[in-house]
Amino acid sequence: MIRSLAPEVVNQIAAGEVVERPASVVKELVENAIDAGGRRIRVEVDAGGCERIRVIDDGDGFLPEDLPLAFASHATSKLSVLQDLDHIATLGFRGEALASIGSVARASIRSRRHDRDAGAEIHCDGGRIGEPQPCGCPTGSQLEIRDLFYNTPARRRFLKSPGTEKARIQELLAELALARLDLDLTLVADGREVLRLPAGQSLTERFASCFGRELARGLLPVERAFGELRVEGVIGEPDLARRDSKLELLYVNGRQARENSAVHAIRQAYREFLMGGRFPIYALTVALPPDQVDVNVHPRKAEVRFLESRKVAGCLHETVRAALQGRAAAASAGGVALAPELPRARSGFPDLPRDLFGRADGGAVPEPTAATSAPPVVVRDGADRPPFGHKSATQDPAANPDQNAGPAPAARPNPFARANGRFLQVHDLYLLLEGPDGLLIVDQHALHERVVYERLRAEHRARAVTVQQLLVPTVVELHPGEKAWLLEVAEDLAAEGLQVGEFSPSAMAIYGVPAVLAKTAPERLLRALLADDGADARPRLREQISERFHSMACRAAVMGGDRLTDEEIAALLQAASTLEHPHNCPHGRPTVLTFTHGELERYFRRRC
Amino acid sequence: MKILCDRTQLQEAVGVVSSVVPTKSPKPILHNLLLRVDDEGITLFATDLEMAAKTRLDAVKVSRKGLLLLPAREASALLRELSDPTVTMDSTDQRCRIESGGGSFVLLGEDPSQFPEEIKLVSNKRVELPAGRLLRMIQESAFAAAREETRYAINGVLFDLAAGCLRLVATDGRRLALSYQNIDAAQAEFKVVVPLRALTTLSRAIPEGSKDPLQIAVGDKQIEFTFGKTQLISQLLECRFPDYEGVVPKAADTSVEIQKAVLESALRKTAILCSDDLRMVKFEVGDQALRITAESSARGRADVSVDVNVKGAGGSINFNPDYILEALRVCQLDQVRLDMSDDSMPAKFTLGESFTYVVMPISGT
Repeated sequence: MIRSLAPEVVNQIAAGEVVERPASVVKELVENAIDAGGRRIRVEVDAGGCERIRVIDDGDGFLPEDLPLAFASHATSKLSVLQDLDHIATLGFRGEALASIGSVARASIRSRRHDRDAGAEIHCDGGRIGEPQPCGCPTGSQLEIRDLFYNTPARRRFLKSPGTEKARIQELLAELALARLDLDLTLVADGREVLRLPAGQSLTERFASCFGRELARGLLPVERAFGELRVEGVIGEPDLARRDSKLELLYVNGRQARENSAVHAIRQAYREFLMGGRFPIYALTVALPPDQVDVNVHPRKAEVRFLESRKVAGCLHETVRAALQGRAAAASAGGVALAPELPRARSGFPDLPRDLFGRADGGAVPEPTAATSAPPVVVRDGADRPPFGHKSATQDPAANPDQNAGPAPAARPNPFARANGRFLQVHDLYLLLEGPDGLLIVDQHALHERVVYERLRAEHRARAVTVQQLLVPTVVELHPGEKAWLLEVAEDLAAEGLQVGEFSPSAMAIYGVPAVLAKTAPERLLRALLADDGADARPRLREQISERFHSMACRAAVMGGDRLTDEEIAALLQAASTLEHPHNCPHGRPTVLTFTHGELERYFRRRC
Repeated sequence: MKILCDRTQLQEAVGVVSSVVPTKSPKPILHNLLLRVDDEGITLFATDLEMAAKTRLDAVKVSRKGLLLLPAREASALLRELSDPTVTMDSTDQRCRIESGGGSFVLLGEDPSQFPEEIKLVSNKRVELPAGRLLRMIQESAFAAAREETRYAINGVLFDLAAGCLRLVATDGRRLALSYQNIDAAQAEFKVVVPLRALTTLSRAIPEGSKDPLQIAVGDKQIEFTFGKTQLISQLLECRFPDYEGVVPKAADTSVEIQKAVLESALRKTAILCSDDLRMVKFEVGDQALRITAESSARGRADVSVDVNVKGAGGSINFNPDYILEALRVCQLDQVRLDMSDDSMPAKFTLGESFTYVVMPISGT
């Protein structure tokens, strides 16, 4: 027999989508608090949120007469008509969160609006909504969720240990906090304050307070505007890269969101600087008119869709690439910022005081950057607030060296151009040089690889595009979307030597491949282009070509273990001195490690 | 089992079947050879499950019949090192004692009943031709097959028997080699793709120029080559082979006749100055002359002109020199012919009386 489900049951099922674990409750409640205009938000959790979650804000509060609706399904004050969905500027909008939470826990709300004398209180116990009662309380709202999942034992069993749940909540708050520097956020777990984020921190400071002090010195602030679209945030130096993608934080109009082509574009920008299997760290926000983005594609709002995803991806790629290539000419060539996961002793010096390279003595405050020096500005409401809120619209653009309209930032200087010509080969692998800033240690293979790679690439760029025609067109069956994309970019691909055309409603034919890739199976080449979804076609094809130069360069370069004559070393350094990107081999491994004068002096206690 | 036999003959037989034994297999029993001893002699059998080789040795004095698995690598290495003209093998309980010239060796085998069974091919599609001729056809075609082991590539040679003509065709999508032989008596028809590995193994077993008959039998999923007392059976590749007949150009704007040695030498010289990443030479056909040039911004420029017989308009076209050199290496003709049109059309090389080679040019955009 088919029956309509009771509303409680419907809500419990819906809760499964929205409320997965304590962290999702915290997320919904904190987002509500932010949408209600809360400036100071305090989150308290006990036993990882499984026993109790309390979120206190100083926002607008509920009207007492609205309270019974708070726990009702699809009830929201954030949008009223369908058209509102096209320009959503609040974090929540679906009107499901509280109803879902209320149906799987014992929830209560106490709230007072600033213009009322008394507050009101309402309880919702496993979906049964009580009557609002007057009560005394400060302005704002205080939501308390006890015994999460007490009536859905199946889900309760799937909760991880309280420690894990607490860590997840902490991560989540950190991620939220990075989008809103104007918020004052506190997390208290089991009575201990674990996160304290005062309003007005710079993004770099906040990133460091959330994820570790030692990160602060390797963060580069970036900011670019592309018409209506703005990209802003911080990106980590390549040597801070992690083995997981946890610190790849992307925000769209102040909301953390994933969008594959955007993430991919950023990784591509890092590609030449990172070793395989490493993920960059960054917190970047994309600000664009709300009608350019669809946020209602994922029940937990974890994903978004852009109207022009390729354009957004392109802007992100350009912003990150420009910043990485133009890393400010800091005296310490960054090479010494040893990857955090490397033990310090690997630097060649014994494991001595932490301030040797890390400058931990001065706290974690990094060199003054535009991001840290800019005054915090509190702006609220809507997508037009400056992303990350650390900068007012009227601020002088010259204050920020990465300002979009300005000239490209000065390239990181080529250390080989300024070395004084004295060198020593050790272990038949490393070259020690004296540079103006200090001691350079060079990996001869990595450096030579870069030299050969650049030569091959220059040679390739200088000549006309040539196409190895195929005897029989290779027919590749494709999804309609892939095929449509290929048809759209066919001209771009042909300009790089890959000739494709429509073959049948579901297939494309390859008629010719770039002559430099003549040995690659044409179908594999095409699939490789499709696999990278999101980025532009031409750069992707160029990447495939570069990949071939990588492997040619690797084979052609001197190996570790090859003893070099002085003349050979001089010639290598001479060639390296004209390189545009001498700091990494084409696979992203560093070519040079720098010990600055200052670092050497500190180590030998010549200077404190 | 217990046998006495001639060491050289046994060594050859072991060598023939060992060629299919996998060097490393997750199924270690495949590293063995199966020896089946009956009243008249020994049958040796080995397989890697994709192909199998079987051969027969009759000049054997059998004292006791039986079945035995011998580790292939050790057995063939041992037989190579022994110097006595005869060898005695005596096995009990999967242990085989080999005695020859005062030495005594024990090889540990495995349980013969665990070894894969021989495949019996049922087929009425049979054709016979001189073994040396098939070897030549394999040489004239197989080099053009795709080498890379990807799922998109055809790592095999098409055997197409129709209307009394056997054609072997191989292509990697950029060039195609076609070698054919009329077989008047043949009634059968088949069109199958044979893995390169099977052909390489078969080639090793056939002496150059052999007039001995070789039989090809084709079943649903396998092909079997029988040559003397040896049989090689291989799985067929299940893939669609491109329509090769449509690819071979029927007409051309320009025909060039040139000494093979002259062309080969000119290509070798110019190819030196191609860059590593872009292998390309330019053919310019003018009035009774062929000019071949190559240029690399890092290395320099090569320019070679040779006298040729030209019919037609002339013109210029770019090729990967390696494609042509690979074909010339197996060409036995003194005078070769090139038929070409423009850089969007395939060019045809006639490299033998029954050996055609088609190369797709490189074009600029």
